[in-house]
Amino acid sequence: MDTAKSLDSNLWVERYGDALYRYTLVRVKNPDSSQEIVQVTLLAALQSQKSFAGRSSEKSWLFGILKHKILDHFRSLKIRRTYELSTDDDTNPYENEFDEMGHFINPPKKWQIDPQHAAENEELVLALAKCLDGLSEKFRYIFVLKEVEGMKSEDICKEMAIQPTNLWVILHRARNQLKKCLEANDWHRKQ
Amino acid sequence: MKPDTLMVKFIMKLSAWLNATCKDTGPLVSETMDHSLSFSKRWRMKFHLAICEACRQYVSQLKTLRALAERLGKEDAPADPRTKLSPEAKETIQQALKNFQ
Repeated sequence: MDTAKSLDSNLWVERYGDALYRYTLVRVKNPDSSQEIVQVTLLAALQSQKSFAGRSSEKSWLFGILKHKILDHFRSLKIRRTYELSTDDDTNPYENEFDEMGHFINPPKKWQIDPQHAAENEELVLALAKCLDGLSEKFRYIFVLKEVEGMKSEDICKEMAIQPTNLWVILHRARNQLKKCLEANDWHRKQ
Repeated sequence: MKPDTLMVKFIMKLSAWLNATCKDTGPLVSETMDHSLSFSKRWRMKFHLAICEACRQYVSQLKTLRALAERLGKEDAPADPRTKLSPEAKETIQQALKNFQ
């Protein structure tokens, strides 16, 4: 396939810029970093135009590069900070949800939605995207890698240099926070 | 090991499984989404879930959360259309691409 004909880099920003940016923002949160990652992605794409084999669409190819660049971003943060649990992460609301017998003080509410059909509810997906902003940076990255990117636990531990037990605790706390945030949106009563 | 010692160990294990609380079970429910639990932990969780409606709700909620997050990970995930690169940002990126060429 003639690469020059199948790729049109002059139109990338206009055609895919917003989609790449939104995709990045879900994962990275910070708008400036997200914009930078989009730019780095498109520059990398320009450099490796010859590797575009035409097997995927131009858009999928760009998203493929973007995914690598996002992971590079997570890795670069690892140098400056640790992903291990620290005393700063000790505010665990989960502990306060039980009486002295270990029973829920307020048992989990029944959500009027079947988990198998949850993903069809776009309003809820957007609500989750908003709730992610409430997580600390560390919890957010770990949750995103595990549940949004679907990375294997052992790969996350390796990439982020954390112990498996810490990973499980972080994910448990992140899930509880997100669950509470979704419930605060009251959607489960509106269904 | 003597058979009666084995029996005592088993009864103690069984008692620990049967006495699991919601507080013990929550982390196990979450963990089971991240790796396979040991035999002992798995049965402690299963025994408790069999008798606890609240914790079964918790399982369902975490499954919902996983389904939503998975959808959010797709390239065509729903997004707020107002979330866009600013015209200035687009211009900056476009310029960087031009300079590179």
